[in-house]
Amino acid sequence: MVHAAAATHSHLLKKDHLKGFLRKLAKEYRLVAPVRNRHSDVLFTVIDDLDAAEIELTEPPQNSLKQFFLPQQERLYTYTTTAEGYDFQPVQATIPPTVYFGVHPCDLSAVLYMDVVFSRHQRDPFYLRRRQGSVLIGVNCNSPAPNCFCNATGSGPFLEMGSDLQLTDLGDRFLVEIGRAPGQALIERWQVFFSPSADKDRAAHYQTFLEARGRFSRQVHVEQAIRQLEADTVPEQVWTELSLRCQDCGGCAYLCPTCTCFTISDQQLDDAGGQRLRSWDACTFAGFTAMAGGHNPVQAKTGAIRQRFTHKLRDDVRQNGRPSCVGCGRCVGICFGGTDIVRFVERACQGSL
Amino acid sequence: MPQPIADIYLPRQARVEQIVAENSQIATFVLAFCDRSYNDGFRYQPGQFMLVSMPHCGEAPISISSTATRPGNIHLSVRRAGKLTHAMHGLRVSDTLGLRGPYGRPFPMEQLAGRDLLFVAGGIGLAPLRAVVDTCLDQRDRFGALTVLYGSRTPSDIAFQGDLELWRKQGVDCRLTVDAAEPGWDGPVGLVTALLDDLAPELDKSTALICGPPLMFRAVLGKLAAMGFGDHQVLTTMERHMKCGVGICRHCHMDGKLACVDGPVFSLAELRKLKILELDG
Repeated sequence: MVHAAAATHSHLLKKDHLKGFLRKLAKEYRLVAPVRNRHSDVLFTVIDDLDAAEIELTEPPQNSLKQFFLPQQERLYTYTTTAEGYDFQPVQATIPPTVYFGVHPCDLSAVLYMDVVFSRHQRDPFYLRRRQGSVLIGVNCNSPAPNCFCNATGSGPFLEMGSDLQLTDLGDRFLVEIGRAPGQALIERWQVFFSPSADKDRAAHYQTFLEARGRFSRQVHVEQAIRQLEADTVPEQVWTELSLRCQDCGGCAYLCPTCTCFTISDQQLDDAGGQRLRSWDACTFAGFTAMAGGHNPVQAKTGAIRQRFTHKLRDDVRQNGRPSCVGCGRCVGICFGGTDIVRFVERACQGSL
Repeated sequence: MPQPIADIYLPRQARVEQIVAENSQIATFVLAFCDRSYNDGFRYQPGQFMLVSMPHCGEAPISISSTATRPGNIHLSVRRAGKLTHAMHGLRVSDTLGLRGPYGRPFPMEQLAGRDLLFVAGGIGLAPLRAVVDTCLDQRDRFGALTVLYGSRTPSDIAFQGDLELWRKQGVDCRLTVDAAEPGWDGPVGLVTALLDDLAPELDKSTALICGPPLMFRAVLGKLAAMGFGDHQVLTTMERHMKCGVGICRHCHMDGKLACVDGPVFSLAELRKLKILELDG
C-alpha cells in the first residue's frame, strides 16, 4: 500500500534544497519544527531564525504538537465583576497560519486523534482556531528510537495518510508524497525545489519502509491488551500493583500527545475581575473526579489507573476503531514508577500469550 | 475562510429574580437571562443541566429543576456543597451569575408517556425529578398516576415543601419519610425504601425515576428489583464532577461513557453494563 501511494503522487526534494524551501515557507507561515537546542534537547520549537536553527528529523522530539493546539494553560475569557453585574469577555487571539515541519507519524496520528476529540460532540473553538490554517509536513521514521512501538498501535513507522506532505529520508534526498490539497498547493507554488520521482526512488522508499519496520527494539502486544480489556480479564492484581506504584505526578499525561483532558478554573486578578483558564489535567490525579463536598465516584487510585489505560486502549478502540496510544514511548521514558503504558501492556498480557 | 465556530464555553449573564429557601442547605434560584430575546428563545428538557459560573469560582453543573412548559425562567435548586454553591447561597435578588447550557441527555418523556411514574428521591435529589413532575402536571393527560416518595434527614430538612403541597392538590400521591423525627412529626421514620412497601404499582405500566445519595440509590434499586421492576423500568440521573459539559474534558467519565453527553439520565439497564461505584460499592 505504501508503495502504491508513493507511485501516484510523489516528488523529490534534494536535501540541499530543504532550507531554501523552508525559507520560502517561513515568509508566509510561522514555522514549527523539531530543533536541537544548545542543551542538546530536541523540541518542537517556533523557528524565528532558520539559519541558526538545527532541525533534527531523526531523534524524536521530547514534546509533541499537543501544546501548539491545546496549550498547557490558555486564557479562555476575562471576566468582570462590577456594579453592573458579572460578565465575560472573549479574548481576541490571532493564531498565525503555521507549518508544522518534520512531524513523526506518531505525533501526526495524535493530531488526527485530537481533531476527533475536539469536534466529535461539539466543535471546540479554541482548539479548532489553532488547528485551522495549520499545515502538517510529516517525516517518516527510518530508525525508531528504543522506546518506540508505533508499529503496535498502527501509527507508524510510516504514515500513509493524514499529513499535507509526507517526507521520507532517502539519504541525499526526500521522497515527498502529497497527502492533502494544501500540500499539493505548496508543491505547485514552489515547484522549483521539487523534481519528479523515478522508479528507483520509489523502490528506495519501499526498501526504507521495510528496513524501518524491522528496526523496532520492543515488541509490545497492544492488540492483546486491548482484547484483555474488552473481555475484562485483566487481573485485579495488575490494577492494584500499578496504582500502588503510580506516584500521581501526571508526567505521562502531560507528555502524552493524545492526553487531552483539561480543567477549567478562574484566577482572580483584582477586585473587579479575573480570567478563566483552561489547563492540562490528568485522569490519574486523585482530584480529577472528586465532587464538591469530597465524594469521589471513582476509587481514587485503582480506578484512576484503570481509567487511563481503559480509555486509551478499549474505549477509543470502540469509538474510533483504533487506540489513542500512538506508541511514541514518551511515557516510558518519563515514568519513574514503572506504570507506563508499555508496562501495563506487558503485565496485562502475562500468562495469556 | 473557515466557518466561524460557536463560542461554546462562553457563559451568558443571568439575573436572579427570586430565591426560595427550601431548607437550611437548599435554595431554589429563579433565573432569567439578561438578554431578553435569548431568554425568550431558551429551550430545555427535564433532566438537562446548566453550567453555572460564579465570580472566581469557575463552573459547576447544576440540574434544572423547572420545566420548559413554564417558559421565562430557569430554576436551579442548589445545596451548599463546595465553594461555588456556597457563593450562590450568598446571592441576592437582582444579582447576576453566568450560565451556559442546557446540556445532557434528558429524561425520555416520549417513552414515559402513558405510564405510571414512581419518583423516589432523597434530599437534593428531588431537584431534577421536580422538573419531570412539573412537566407531567403541565401535560396531565399524557401520563398515568404520579407517586413521589421523598426522604429527608429530619422534618426541618424537608425541601420543596411548597411543591409537595401543590403536587398533592393536583392528585400526586406524595409520601414523605425522615431519618430522624422531631417534635411534631407524626409521619414515617426510616429509609425511603420502607415507603415502597406500601405501594402496589402496576408493573407493566410503571417506570421508577430515582435520584439521591449513593446509599439510598443502592437500597432503592434492590427494593425495586424485588418488587419486579425490570432494569429498563428504572431511570436515574448521575452526579459527576464536570468541567466542559460537552463531552471533551472527560472529568465525568463512567467506564467509557461520559455523564455529560451520554447522560446524566441513564436507565438502570444502561448502568448495569458499566463498572461504576454506585452499583459496585
